[in-house]
Amino acid sequence: MRQREERDFYLFIGLWLIGFVLFTGGPILASLVFSFTNWTGLTTQEWIGLENFRKLLFEDRLFWIATRNTFFYSFGSVILGTLGALYVAILLNQKLPGTTLMRVLYYIPSIASGVAVSILWIWLFNPQVGLVNYLLSLIGIQGPPWLASQQWALPALIIKSTWAIGANMIILLAGLQAVPSSLYEAAKIDGANPWDEFRNVTIPMLSPVLFYVIVISTIASFQILTDVLVMTQGGPGTATLVYVYYIYQNAFQYLKMGYASALAWILFAIIMALTLLQLWGSKKWVYYEDQAA
Amino acid sequence: MQSNQLSRRRFLQLAGTGAASVVLLAACQAPVAAPGAAPAAPAQEGITLSFGHHWEAAFRPRQEEFDQKYAEAHPGVRFEYTYNTWSEHNQIVPTWAAAGTLPDIIYVHGRYAFPWNHEGIVVSTQDFIDNDPEFDVNGIWEEALRLYAYNGKQYEIPYDHGPIILGYNKDLFDEAGLAYPDESWTWDTFLEAAKALTKENQWGYGGYYNQVVQLGNELGISMVGPFGGEVIDETETKILIDSDASRAALQWWADLIHVHKVAPLPAQSQAVAGAGPWVAGMAGMFALASWGTPTLIESANFAWDVAPWPQGPAGRKAGAFGSGFGITRDSKQPEAAWQYMREYLSKEGMEFMWGSSGRGSPARQAAYDSWLNSPGAPEHASYYKDALATYAVTGRPYQTLAGGEILDVFNRNTDLVQSGDMTVDQAIENILAEGTPVLEEAARRLQGS
Repeated sequence: MRQREERDFYLFIGLWLIGFVLFTGGPILASLVFSFTNWTGLTTQEWIGLENFRKLLFEDRLFWIATRNTFFYSFGSVILGTLGALYVAILLNQKLPGTTLMRVLYYIPSIASGVAVSILWIWLFNPQVGLVNYLLSLIGIQGPPWLASQQWALPALIIKSTWAIGANMIILLAGLQAVPSSLYEAAKIDGANPWDEFRNVTIPMLSPVLFYVIVISTIASFQILTDVLVMTQGGPGTATLVYVYYIYQNAFQYLKMGYASALAWILFAIIMALTLLQLWGSKKWVYYEDQAA
Repeated sequence: MQSNQLSRRRFLQLAGTGAASVVLLAACQAPVAAPGAAPAAPAQEGITLSFGHHWEAAFRPRQEEFDQKYAEAHPGVRFEYTYNTWSEHNQIVPTWAAAGTLPDIIYVHGRYAFPWNHEGIVVSTQDFIDNDPEFDVNGIWEEALRLYAYNGKQYEIPYDHGPIILGYNKDLFDEAGLAYPDESWTWDTFLEAAKALTKENQWGYGGYYNQVVQLGNELGISMVGPFGGEVIDETETKILIDSDASRAALQWWADLIHVHKVAPLPAQSQAVAGAGPWVAGMAGMFALASWGTPTLIESANFAWDVAPWPQGPAGRKAGAFGSGFGITRDSKQPEAAWQYMREYLSKEGMEFMWGSSGRGSPARQAAYDSWLNSPGAPEHASYYKDALATYAVTGRPYQTLAGGEILDVFNRNTDLVQSGDMTVDQAIENILAEGTPVLEEAARRLQGS
């Protein structure tokens, strides 16, 4: 039985492993080598040691701007996206008519094409005829010029990121439905009100799923590219210059593939460090039922 | 059994770190081959020429009509096309080159010619030109040819080359009771007219594709040249916008937005649906390159025409730019590719493709009249020809490996000048600080190669 399971395991994972080694693992290792060269992506290639890393850490002002902007975007989009997804998941977890349809409607934006959605949001953020500023005007607020504003362009991208909360909403909804109803019944017997139930039953039982959503959302947020490419091209000025867009510019527009590879490896280190930090921090707030004393 | 199962916690941990390891590093993968456009080997019964074009769907029948005629004259020749969008094309070509799958002939925008020639993506056509007395290379604008020269040899052959001149909305001029612009106009005349044309939701000047202050190839020299300034020196290692003349010129243009308020802020341009105020009929004047005329013909619901770029204290000067075609290093049949190019880019070829079709500004002087007489040309389109013949120069940078990067440095700063978030002096200081090392590094790379 055990041998058969092992065989099945390797059969199932084997195809993925072959694909990974050939199409992803190889290029990843190659990019590590490229990061120590001045390769243009085509011809020129000399071994320059740590020069790319020295330059981007100590001379490249745009590297630091891109890093700062990406952290800002990640912080805003992960918090807003997770809270938004949780809120919608709780609403759609109610036993009310039409919730199935609403779940589908909330999920649909997640599968829409990235470029098409970005273009749609350019219109939504139009300072004069856009829906966002129109809605603000209804409550007496004159909206900013959003994508044309140095101050508001990055917040606009954070707001836009909530468009795709459907995917996280589905995961959180599944987590909510996995919480045993007996726990809520026990809480009620103990005199808990809805807020107590949410704080002391829902959140702890949902914490592993929340943790997963936060980790994955953080990783995804550091890879923002399409929105910037389509909506702002890093501007105005450097207001929306984010990390992966800067990698893209160096690799494909400036033909500095070696430099871009060094940038990518630093991004990898940043995200790995953040993920490990989140794993370490999870010990303080994530509750695993199967490991409870 | 138990030991083979992953706990939910372990799964979530692995999923998180696994994604971090794999998904993110995908950002630095080596370029992969773009779909299609593999160079074809000559078939026994004939030759298949492959192309990397950037034509939009509406223009493709023209291309295919030319090729059909070519095939009739050269039996056995077949064609394979990959049509990219303009912006994607410039990123796709290097990936083709990295994968060794370049088509025989590719479209090359002037800004990309030098780095692509340096990287060997395109091969020199100099030997073909030298051994083909019937191919009249001297009939092509000299300013256009220089854009595609590398190490003293000709690489690409230009098909299109055009200057920036002054476009204007005749309806708004009539409404304001103003005389149309003409050869006598100076920038003072321009400013007075712009003031008279400005009112609520209407501006005297709409810029070049909504850019009022910008140092791009075409617009940069058009802005500072008439005032005696330069953008970059001839060696393309030194930025010259800190001269008194260039500084004053940039300030003059910034003042159009912030002092005289005759040109829109970026946010105001963005707020106008479509391509912006100049196409929407909300700008009295605009900078108009010859390749911009099809946009107005298609979209403008007002009468418009063109006039010479006004004179400044240093005379009349405007930027010109264009595009060409080149034979790639992956072509297994460069002779056949040249045979095609020499006809495609002959006087007759240019007349058919870009002149009589109304597409605009053929790179051959002799083919220009076919465009001037086409339905696509405005009434005074001959001012484009005059500009190329007398005062238009190809706008630098175009002989540096850092062309794209230096233009990004310019744009990042001029964007903020336009929005009022940065002064002209600050922008100049930033551009010099950021741009000079970029140009110097590019020069070192060039010398070291």
